[in-house]
Amino acid sequence: MINENDPSTLTTSGRLLNYNEAIKSGLETGLTFTKLMDQLIKTHDADELVAAATQLADFKLDSDYVTFPHQYSNADYYLLFMSRMLELHDQGKHVMVQSRDHHEELTQQLTPLGDRGTFSFRVETSENGGVFYRERATGQSLFYLNLERKMFRFNSHALTQLFIIDLHDTVPADTVKASVQILVDFARYLKEDYGYSVDFNVLDAANQQNYAVRSADLPAGVVDRLFVAAAKNDYMLTNGVNGNGAQIQLDKNVVVDIFNNQLEGQPEWVLTVHDDDQKVSWFDILLRYPFMRDWYLENLDDLEIVSDPLIFS
Amino acid sequence: MENQEQQASAADVLTQAIANKLDYLSTLQAAVQHGDDRQVYELLDQARYYQEIKKTRAARTVNHLAELVDNIHPQISHYLSDNLIDYLGHVYPFFYYEEYTTGRFHIYFGNWWDRRLFGDLDVVNVRFNFDKTEYQKLQRSFELEAQHQRLNTAKIEQISSESEALQKLMDAQSVRDNQKTQLREQLKENSQKSSMPWDTSKIKDERQQIVDQLTELADQDEKALNAHKAIKENDDKILVLSKEDTILNYEKQSIRDAFDDFEHFEAHNQSLYADYLNSLIGKSEGGVKTND
Repeated sequence: MINENDPSTLTTSGRLLNYNEAIKSGLETGLTFTKLMDQLIKTHDADELVAAATQLADFKLDSDYVTFPHQYSNADYYLLFMSRMLELHDQGKHVMVQSRDHHEELTQQLTPLGDRGTFSFRVETSENGGVFYRERATGQSLFYLNLERKMFRFNSHALTQLFIIDLHDTVPADTVKASVQILVDFARYLKEDYGYSVDFNVLDAANQQNYAVRSADLPAGVVDRLFVAAAKNDYMLTNGVNGNGAQIQLDKNVVVDIFNNQLEGQPEWVLTVHDDDQKVSWFDILLRYPFMRDWYLENLDDLEIVSDPLIFS
Repeated sequence: MENQEQQASAADVLTQAIANKLDYLSTLQAAVQHGDDRQVYELLDQARYYQEIKKTRAARTVNHLAELVDNIHPQISHYLSDNLIDYLGHVYPFFYYEEYTTGRFHIYFGNWWDRRLFGDLDVVNVRFNFDKTEYQKLQRSFELEAQHQRLNTAKIEQISSESEALQKLMDAQSVRDNQKTQLREQLKENSQKSSMPWDTSKIKDERQQIVDQLTELADQDEKALNAHKAIKENDDKILVLSKEDTILNYEKQSIRDAFDDFEHFEAHNQSLYADYLNSLIGKSEGGVKTND
């Protein structure tokens, strides 16, 4: 009996045919790969771009019979995807992709930030899949992206550590703002054009955004400290609108509220930022008002804005 | 006959007494219906009204009629509060009122975070009943201002220096560890010294000195061990005190903005009844209700 899957049962020509088929299919995989690469690098159609990136994200180029010695990692396709996406929205010059000299690996810099930050994607190995956008020197993962699940999540902890703490003394606030805006725009295109579920987290400038703080049952002392700090800086922390929590008017149009969002049951303290144009996020507050930044950082254990707990733990 | 006459006059007297009460009540009712708060106040305390508003010392007999409405004071107070609080809003822009039960009002000072409950508003008598403790704190902080001090400056300084000392104690741990090693060496040497009779007391003294020093260092070690917690507790104490100073500062500023100084504020409180009723008289005489 001849079993095609068992080489020992095959005739010599049968074996050769099998071998040939395996190589053909390996080469076809390679061809498919080059087409997708062409598509990823050259297309001017955003739909095609997303399609190419999504397929390349978990593309297996090697097969048992055909292997390719020079390969970029899947993470690099995400980087290409990101810069191409920005390019299609006329923001191509806001990022710079660099390839390493001696091996196939891509890194990226945000143009305003220059060499003070070098970024790449790191593939998540758990079954969640997806990738983390990482600053290489500090290891901070600024956001998580999953093309298959159409998910995008910013990470409040990493954004704070990198931009509000690490780069605070060396990089002007405007530069930080411009750099972060590139990431926000990238996420926005995915949300608006492809219906991605995006958590902008501390970067969300919408007025209705409630930033949940880590200590859901916030100790009263934390708010007291803001009250004292505000007074020293000629601002006044007032009672919240409904007598629940506190409010501080920072500028003509910028009001920060801190209050318990659950009047009954388990407390859930949150921050909100209101401004007429809905352009100011909690992150902007941290950049603009040194005493708010100091307060946030001094009480970070209690105040850190919660990121998606399923992704960042 | 005589009895009947007596009977009749007794009835007359009572009728008159009842008529007086009815008259009082219907006058009050009419005043409320016409929104004549001034007259309501006059009826509620005629003696005070004549003394403070009419400035007549005419010793009117006290008729106790006002006692008739004692048990509806909450409703009267609730009714009168509308206009009174309007008026107070202009004169004392920093006070906020909360009607916690019909006709009874808490006074809050300011609208800042954790503003203080400052007492009660007595609407019927047009009077602030300030909380004594809170009021004295404010008074004291005005007095201290002359010395460029806040109420809690001294306390905060004392706690801060305590924390500084604790911090130093923590920082000096390695110095103490070295000292202890040295002292233990000395103790060892001391115990090996030949104990000639004439040396005994000297060696004993020396030994006692070393032991005393070691005990002292051990005490410091223990304090240093608890210092971290103590400093944190001190930070919490300082926060409470700074918060109070901040609140008092806002209160002082509010009073200065409205009255220039604490003395004027107190004077206004003293004459509140007269000022308010005169403003009501002014309104009715002016004929036009100003709504400023």
